[in-house]
Amino acid sequence: MSPQQVNQPLPPGYQLENYRIERQLSVGGFSIVYLAYDENDTPVAIKEYLPNSLALRTEGAILPAIADEHRATFSHGMKCFFEEGRALAHLNHVNVVRVINFFRANETVYMVMQYERGRTLQEHIHKHKGEIREIFIRNVFARLLNGLREVHTHKLLHLDIKPANIYLRIDGNPVLLDFGAARQALEGENNGLKPMYTPGYAAPEQYKAPDQLGPWTDIYAVGATMYACLGGTVPQAALDRLEKDRYVPASREWAGKYSKQLLETIDWCLDLDYLERPLSVFALQKVLTEQQHAVHEATWIDSLSQRLRGIIKK
Amino acid sequence: MKFAIYQESRVGKRHNNQDRLAHCYSRDALLMVVADGMGGHLHGEVAAQIAVQLLTETFQREARPRLNDPFMFLAQGLTNAHRAVQDYAIANHLIEAESPRTTCVACVVQDNVAYWVHAGDSRLYVLRDGRVLTRTRDHSTVQAMIDDGQITAAEAQHHPLRNRIYSCLGGLQSPQFDFSRKTPLLAGDVLLLCSDGVWGPLDDLRFVTALHDADVIQAVPPLLDEAERAGGSNADNLSLIALCWGENYGEEAAPGIETGTMPFDAHSTQMLEFERSHAPQPELTDADIERAIDEIRNAIRKNSP
Repeated sequence: MSPQQVNQPLPPGYQLENYRIERQLSVGGFSIVYLAYDENDTPVAIKEYLPNSLALRTEGAILPAIADEHRATFSHGMKCFFEEGRALAHLNHVNVVRVINFFRANETVYMVMQYERGRTLQEHIHKHKGEIREIFIRNVFARLLNGLREVHTHKLLHLDIKPANIYLRIDGNPVLLDFGAARQALEGENNGLKPMYTPGYAAPEQYKAPDQLGPWTDIYAVGATMYACLGGTVPQAALDRLEKDRYVPASREWAGKYSKQLLETIDWCLDLDYLERPLSVFALQKVLTEQQHAVHEATWIDSLSQRLRGIIKK
Repeated sequence: MKFAIYQESRVGKRHNNQDRLAHCYSRDALLMVVADGMGGHLHGEVAAQIAVQLLTETFQREARPRLNDPFMFLAQGLTNAHRAVQDYAIANHLIEAESPRTTCVACVVQDNVAYWVHAGDSRLYVLRDGRVLTRTRDHSTVQAMIDDGQITAAEAQHHPLRNRIYSCLGGLQSPQFDFSRKTPLLAGDVLLLCSDGVWGPLDDLRFVTALHDADVIQAVPPLLDEAERAGGSNADNLSLIALCWGENYGEEAAPGIETGTMPFDAHSTQMLEFERSHAPQPELTDADIERAIDEIRNAIRKNSP
C-alpha cells in the first residue's frame, strides 16, 4: 500500500456480510476494490464506495468519518454509484464485468462482482513489451468491443478504458472492468468530487467539453489502449496535445511491424476532433474484423519482403 | 498596504462548526476576526456569527478608507456584539444555561500598526524573526492558574478546567476586553488569529517553525492538518487567519494583496457564510437507499444466467 493512499482498506479477514475480505486489489479516488470469498469460498471482487475527499477511514477504523458538510455530496456520489450498479445489473455480457450482489454496510454501499482469474492487459503489455502480435490485438479488441457495444446500447459510457481496466481471462477473453459512470455523473459539479482522467487515455472532450461526451470518447481510449499495445508507451495526453500536438502517429512509428490498416485505425481513433473518429463501436469493430484475414497475410508478406530486402542489402 | 492572508475553518471531529472567522479590508485598513461560539444546540454558532458579522459590517461602514480610531472601533464593535448576542438570547427566550456565547479576537491593521482586542481563549500571535513577539493571554481559568504559578503550561493542556473561560460575548456577565498596545509591524511579521482547536493541540513553537519565512497560503493547511490530527478523535473546530505583512515578503512566495489601487470606498470581505457549516440535508434517506439497492438486486436476479 502506498503511503499516499488516503483511505485505509478493510483489514484482511474482515467479515463483510457473507464475504470474508482477503486483500485490497486496487484503490481509486472513489472506491476501494477487494478480493473476498463468499461462504462457498468462491472468490469475488467487492467494490466499496469511499470517495476519499468526502469519507475518511483511518487506521484501525471500520466506519468512515463523514463530515456533516460533506453528507450531501457523499449522498450524491452514492446515487451515482447506484447508477453504475443499476446499469451493470442490466448488462449480462461475457466481456463486461458481472455484478452479483449489492448491499449496504458500514455507512456506505458495496458492489460485489464476479472475480476473474487472469491478468490485466496492463500486466500483459508490461510482460510482452514490444512483442505483442497484431493477431492478439485484433482478437482481444474485437471481443472487447462486443462488450463495449453492449455498454453503449444501455446508454452508458465507460469513460476510463485503459489497459489496467481490461482483464484478460485465462482463456484470453477480455473483460471490461471499473465503470466510470459515477465519475461522469459527477463531472462539472463543484462538489469536491473531482472527475478523474487517466492522461493519455482520456479524450480531449473529457477535460474540455463534458457536454460532448459520447461513444467516440470511449473510442479514443480504445485507440490509446491499442497504441499502448504496440510499443508499451502511452500516447501524449490529450490536454497537452491540444497545446502542442506531439502525437507520433502509429502509422509512422510502427510502419512495417504491423499492418497499415491496423495502424491507421489506431490513428483514426486518436483524432483530437471527435467528429473525425469512428463514431460508433460498430464502425470500429467492422474495420478491426473484416479484413483480418487479408491483413494477416499482408503482414506476413511484409515481413518476408523486409527480410528479403535485408538479405539483398547484404 | 501589502500583505498575504489566508483563512480557513474546519469542523474537526465535531458535528458542527461553531467557529466563525472573517477578514475584510479597504485601501488603508484591514480587519480580522475569529469567534468561537459556545452554548447549547446551534446557539453557539449564532453568537459567533453575530459577532463576526457585526464587526465586519461596522468596518465596512466606517473604514472609508481609514478608521478614525482603531481602538475605539474595536471597543464599540465588541460591546455592540456582546449586546446583540444578549438580545438574541432574550428574543429567543433562552435560559442562562443554554445562552449563546462566543469568544472573540479581532485585529485592525492601519498605517503599519496593529491594534487588537480579545475576550475568551481565542488567540492572536505576533511572530517576528522566528519567535513569538507577543500573544494574547487567555481569559481562562487555567491561564490564571499558570500566572499564579499553580500549574505549568504543560499541565494546563490536560487540565480538567482548560475549557473554562471567564470572559466572552453574550451571557449575563459583562465581558472583560484586553486591548493590545499599538504594535508597529515590520515586513515579514506574521499575525495569527486562531481558535483553541488550533492552538490547543499544538505547541506555540510549532507556529514559529511552520510559519517562519514561509508562504502562509502554503504553510497553513498542513499546520491545520497537524492540529486536527493531534486533536484526535474528538478534535475541536479549528479556525485560523494568518497574515504575512510587508513588502519584502519573498516575491514568489505568496500572491500578495496590494490595496493601493483600490477605490476609497471599496471593501473586500471574506467571511465563512452562515449557511455553509449548517449540515445540508442529505439527498438520500435510508428508505431511498434501500429502494435503490432492492431495485439493483432485482435486476441482478432477473439477469442471472
